[in-house]
Amino acid sequence: MRGTRALSVSAALLAVVGVIATGCGGSDNTGQTSGGGGKSKGGSINVAIVDNPQMKDIAKLTPSLFTKRTGIKVNYTILDEGTLRQVTTRDVAAGGRQFDVAMIGPYEAPQFGKSGSLVDLTPMAQSDSAYRLGDIIPAVRNALSADGKMYAAPFYGESSFLMYRKDVLDKAGVKIPLHPTWDQVAAAARKVNTAKMAGICLRGKPGWGDLGASFTTVLNTFGGTWWSAKPDGSVDKAQVNTPAFRNALQFYVNLVHDAGEKDAANSSFNECLTQYKDSKVAMWYDATVAAGLLEASDSAVKGKNGYAFAPVEKTKAAGWLWTWALAIPKTSSKQDLAWQYISWATGPQYLKAAGTRIDGGWAALPPGTRKSTYEIPQYKKAAAAFAGPTLSAIAAAPISNPGTTKRPGLPGVQYVGIPQFQDVGNQCTQQFSAVIAGRTSVDSALGNCQDVASQVNS
Amino acid sequence: MDAAAGTAEASEQKPRKLISPPRLSESWRRRLPLLPALLIMIVLTQVPFVMSIYYSLTDWHVVPPGPRKFVGLDNYSHLFSDHFFGSAVWVSVQLAVIPVLGSLVLGTAFALLLDRKFIGRGLVRTLLITPFLLMPVVVGLIWKNQMFNDLYGVINWVVGKLGGTPVDFVARHPTMAIAVTLIWQWTPFMMLIMLAGLQSQPPDVLEAAKVDGATPWGIFRQLTLAHLRPYMELGILLGTIYLIQVYDLVAVMTGGGPGSTNVPYFVFQKSIGGGWEFGQASAYSIVVVVFSIIIATVSLRVLSRLLRGEETV
Repeated sequence: MRGTRALSVSAALLAVVGVIATGCGGSDNTGQTSGGGGKSKGGSINVAIVDNPQMKDIAKLTPSLFTKRTGIKVNYTILDEGTLRQVTTRDVAAGGRQFDVAMIGPYEAPQFGKSGSLVDLTPMAQSDSAYRLGDIIPAVRNALSADGKMYAAPFYGESSFLMYRKDVLDKAGVKIPLHPTWDQVAAAARKVNTAKMAGICLRGKPGWGDLGASFTTVLNTFGGTWWSAKPDGSVDKAQVNTPAFRNALQFYVNLVHDAGEKDAANSSFNECLTQYKDSKVAMWYDATVAAGLLEASDSAVKGKNGYAFAPVEKTKAAGWLWTWALAIPKTSSKQDLAWQYISWATGPQYLKAAGTRIDGGWAALPPGTRKSTYEIPQYKKAAAAFAGPTLSAIAAAPISNPGTTKRPGLPGVQYVGIPQFQDVGNQCTQQFSAVIAGRTSVDSALGNCQDVASQVNS
Repeated sequence: MDAAAGTAEASEQKPRKLISPPRLSESWRRRLPLLPALLIMIVLTQVPFVMSIYYSLTDWHVVPPGPRKFVGLDNYSHLFSDHFFGSAVWVSVQLAVIPVLGSLVLGTAFALLLDRKFIGRGLVRTLLITPFLLMPVVVGLIWKNQMFNDLYGVINWVVGKLGGTPVDFVARHPTMAIAVTLIWQWTPFMMLIMLAGLQSQPPDVLEAAKVDGATPWGIFRQLTLAHLRPYMELGILLGTIYLIQVYDLVAVMTGGGPGSTNVPYFVFQKSIGGGWEFGQASAYSIVVVVFSIIIATVSLRVLSRLLRGEETV
């Protein structure tokens, strides 16, 4: 009697364990079949991209513009910035073999390229006449290269600048100069801030590429830095507990508390974009690529916006430099197909073909990668308000000397070009975001962040 | 499961000594077909575990790539000085204790209601179980966006209608927001356990108490609660084992940070979540496994006592 009872209990337990185990195995299998499927004439490739609007556009257009012509099926994995970074780092740096093409930026490309995890795209780009390598904007190409080798092909390029509602600011009698200071911007934001429309949208979502990017440009121009550098360019000491860092964080937090957007601790590019387009904020400091979406034919705020350079305090320029770019991991077994895709996605033909096909029209093209984009007549007309500011912002981005002191690691404005910054930036921005949410104090956040940053030694 | 096997063996030890050698081989012949399954289970579960123990004794960075160095117990000694790990442990404790007790109270209340006969009882029972059947990621998104959000969440809509100021619950009170969501999800689990307990209550005892003039409250307090005690212990222990492993809700609702990074999320951040320090992450997870085994052992004792208790009834 007792035996059968125990037996039935353990059988039930085993059944449960079995179900869980098969569940785990199942997900792996589906991943493989979708990768191997569609092998009609051109084969298929797996591509990981970030979930910004321009990437969603290209994912939508790929079957009709690319697969139809080449027979290469493209399986997209579209992820938010933070998750994309985990996946690409796992796949590229640790040899995960999941993707044939991964979207990365100037933080990753030189690091991964130097460590031998990425295919050097220069030879393929040079021999591909349709690609027109020389057409790429030099600052963007440099940011993705190490020792003269280009490790990723730019899909769009951006700096950061200030976007504002001309109509709202005019009504309040506020004027924003072309080169504003943060004090001027903060004063303007506080003046136009109302219950219905916040003064300014600033990123507050944890993540080194989210809050970390916006905040670090403020930090740079306030004279602060994450780490001091030794003469050979390696990390010296964490500088989070210095007065300059404190001032920058206090300024940022105060501005968000006084005149910032609702739900600030959860907001990044996409959230601010939504709030700005819904007229919930009057100003917005973020990526230049946003302007194309604000001036797009389906935007409610089209034609109402002014653009100014990234606000400064102690430096001459403060805008960041970023580009989302496509790279091929060395572990990919389909490098030829991968290049065919990259050449199409980041080449001049896509830009011309997409203008009439995407919802936002010509203004919403991926900007900032090619000089020829700015010669397309339709684009020049649609992007008249922001094409000039975008190009000058990219050219002005102080990539090799972003602050008032020497930085450790590879060049970078809104990040520090060392591998550990990803982790430190993520952990510290969680602390800073908690300050923005009102959960913890500036002092305790800085203390914790200094502890995290001090663990980095070169 | 090991502990259960252990107690079973212990109780069988006495008769085994009397068994003569030929019968022993007979019992082995019966076990033989199970051995391949056992072997596969050991390879799939124990080998990775032993490798994690080895990794926890090394300094292993993937980014920046470096050679794996043997560092002895360094990762473990570092663990106790790391106040981030300390606060993650504290969040884990809160995220286990509050939801377990909250869902136990609510689950018992619902079980008492469902133990009565009324029209539509089957439908109500199914509806009450539903939260437990949803995917945790879906639960997290529903609560974060539809319930707690300060711009368009249901709770803040009610707060606004009542004249209060909306609160961004997830950003301001992440631990409580996650705990409330967990209570919602785990109440059905506790309810089912309690319902099983209530339905195994012998009716003659209740009837006898009624005949002796006991009040309903007296019956509940002195008979029903006493009868439910082992079921509550089981619910608490099983719930604790599951809840110290919660990761999905933290990832979906807050994405970590002070007040919401619990131990599993912390281990994630140390390893594939950006830290890429597999040695340290292994050490943290080994410590978690040890604690889980301790809780599991206790819970299996309770489970076996419960089964024995039912035999005597």
